[in-house]
Amino acid sequence: MQRKSKAAFPLASLLALCLLLSACGGSNNAGNSSGSPESSGSAPTASGSSSNDKELELTLAFMGIGNMKEAGLVQEEISKITKAKINATVKLMPIDIGAWTQQVNLLLAGNEPVDLLVTSSFFNYSSQVAKGQLLPLDDLIAKHAPTIQDTMEAAIFNSTKIGGQMYGVPSIRDTAADHGISARKDLMDKYNLSFDNVKTYADLDSVFQKIKDNEPGVYPLVQRSQALTVASEIVRGHIDSLGDTPGVLIIENQDLKIVNLYETQLYKDALQLARKWYQAGYIMPDAATTQEGNNSLIKAGKGFSYLSNMKPGFAAQESTINGREMVTASIVPPISTSDSGTGFMISIPKNTQDADRAAQLLNLLYTDKDVANLIANGVEGKHYVDAGNGQIKAPEGGSNYVFNQWEVGNNALTKVWQGTSPDIWEQTKEFNKNAIFSKALGFSFDSSPVKTEVAAVLNVNNQYKAGLESGTIDPSKLDEFVRKLKDAGLDKIVAEKQKQLDEWAQANNVQ
Amino acid sequence: MKTNDMNQVAVHAIFILLAAFCLIPFVLLFMSSVSSESSIVNNGYSFWPKEFSLEAYTYLWSQKSAMFNSYGVTILITLVGTFVGLLISALLAYPLSRRDLPMRGILSFLVFFTLLFNGGLVPTYLIYTEVFHMKNTLMALIVPGLLTNGFFILLIRTFFANSIPVQIIESAYIDGASEFKIFIRMILPLSLPILATIGLMLTINYWNDWFNGLIYITEPQLFSIQNLLNRMLVNIQFLQQNNLGGQNMAVNLPMNAVRMAMAVVGILPLILIYPFFQKYFVKGLTIGAVK
Repeated sequence: MQRKSKAAFPLASLLALCLLLSACGGSNNAGNSSGSPESSGSAPTASGSSSNDKELELTLAFMGIGNMKEAGLVQEEISKITKAKINATVKLMPIDIGAWTQQVNLLLAGNEPVDLLVTSSFFNYSSQVAKGQLLPLDDLIAKHAPTIQDTMEAAIFNSTKIGGQMYGVPSIRDTAADHGISARKDLMDKYNLSFDNVKTYADLDSVFQKIKDNEPGVYPLVQRSQALTVASEIVRGHIDSLGDTPGVLIIENQDLKIVNLYETQLYKDALQLARKWYQAGYIMPDAATTQEGNNSLIKAGKGFSYLSNMKPGFAAQESTINGREMVTASIVPPISTSDSGTGFMISIPKNTQDADRAAQLLNLLYTDKDVANLIANGVEGKHYVDAGNGQIKAPEGGSNYVFNQWEVGNNALTKVWQGTSPDIWEQTKEFNKNAIFSKALGFSFDSSPVKTEVAAVLNVNNQYKAGLESGTIDPSKLDEFVRKLKDAGLDKIVAEKQKQLDEWAQANNVQ
Repeated sequence: MKTNDMNQVAVHAIFILLAAFCLIPFVLLFMSSVSSESSIVNNGYSFWPKEFSLEAYTYLWSQKSAMFNSYGVTILITLVGTFVGLLISALLAYPLSRRDLPMRGILSFLVFFTLLFNGGLVPTYLIYTEVFHMKNTLMALIVPGLLTNGFFILLIRTFFANSIPVQIIESAYIDGASEFKIFIRMILPLSLPILATIGLMLTINYWNDWFNGLIYITEPQLFSIQNLLNRMLVNIQFLQQNNLGGQNMAVNLPMNAVRMAMAVVGILPLILIYPFFQKYFVKGLTIGAVK
């Protein structure tokens, strides 16, 4: 008995020590990574010699979301071009999106060679810059890629600046979005329906009613996911949500005043509409909990339409994904929000072997037709075949290289897929230009000072959001939702956001 | 007598129920994998699908090069990892079990210490990638699993120390056997239960390991089967929960039935080998636990 109690003390103290150490471990890590900028910032840029004598293998890390089985073949073809032009071969490093945050953190913590890296405001762009993990690009671009800025809207190009320096070049894609509805063409034709008279979301009633009456088993409106609910799609065309924390800008106001979305009339009306549709049976009864997305529901014939953001050529894209022909109607005109530029960029991390050569490769991604096309579409004859008219189509039996075009480089230089209008990129350019730009374009919110509140708000969101916004819960619960959000610290987040936005606006001369 | 029977019935009923709770999810898993996609979307998962379809398995078969490749990787690392892991563990545990080993306390403590502490993810990653250059090699899938099994070593040590009388070792010594020969010819054959138990645990660890693959491997041809499955699931989850500025992901996510079929394919071999280990498993576990 006595022996036992003797042994208990050292054990207990060991346990305590263990807890203490693991607690320290967390902050230690943060200390390490934030200590790196001084060591990193100088080394690669200092070697300003732009001679390309030594052959290099440059690594391009990106999100491999599609099918990346034959990335090796594409890499060989790109290397042939880059070898001749900048005396460097290219290594493609696709990283799964689910593992992205973790693998990129580890990559940047170490010294593995990564010369170009896809960065995004959705994936810690600002904290990567704060930790000194990305190199400032202004000088490198002026030296090696002076024409890049002519390829996109100046506002978008400049929106990646942090503290006056840019750390990423946005990919050329649809940087604006309009909002509206996509629906199955077969049913539209069958009942002679059209969206011509639909000016607001509320006008969709008659279309939904027709489907509901005549097509049992088909739900007139389905949601894209738990996060992309009916009400959130309705309001999204009017707001700049400044990241995924509460506190938004109303785009139409063209000001820098952050409001609590959940207390706006806009949001209340959207909830009312969603509720009305739900009660009328237009929305699936289990919309708030189902794990099925819009694409599989449409494919299986269970859904008729869905709301979403759109872009030029959207109907063709959705028809391919759903395996059914779709028609689309735009309801809210295009907007460009704070993350339109920073959403997807290419950056040069501090791990690069040679910043100059990396900048030259970056230049090729935006200016060389063949390189841009190879990375976006793969190798001709293997991953796509010619479809006439300068357009391309998938080879028989599918392709083993499917890249998500919007991620990297100048997509306006790439070959256009069959079914898409040949002048899609001119349309896109016009579309991007004519969008209503958010005043906060380029601002990204650093939520770390209010981490606790953000987590608490997220819990409240999980409890109410999907239910309210899909129409499953009566909008009278909104007051309770807002009250709980306030208890969780919503006001503090909004105040912090406003503070950061004001500082940002002052630094960037935005009023 | 009567009450005894009643007890018997009650106990059996409870255990039948518990066994059913364990088995039913597997049945559902299997039935979902042979459902047609449209019946899953329309009616949800069910034990008796409206429409049967082998579509999912046909799809997996069409991906056979990637599937067989991942299978090959998994089988290879499991075989090599289990064998080497077992050897290293036994070789370390045996001296620790001998009372005549100098500094036995300190060495045992060092092993015990690794149970409580490890270097943390980032330092571990840096050591493996920058000192040993194991990124994107099969070694990255094998080595980390070999070195983190202090628990197994303590289990084996306990077995050696308590189940094998010292007299056996002494008599073998008198008969002129060398230390190594004693270990190979006497100790190992007598320790079959614990070795089989640890072997099975190592096998399961290696078979199910996806984490090492997640952080050390980016080359698709080195993905193990669990890594492949895990990546698929995490990607699907990520895309469902996150709205990347409404960016439309032109991705063809694998269908529900395919995910189920992959899970079936992933666990099948383990289910098949388990019965052969089972008789040792129970014995080995209880021996380790009681002492």
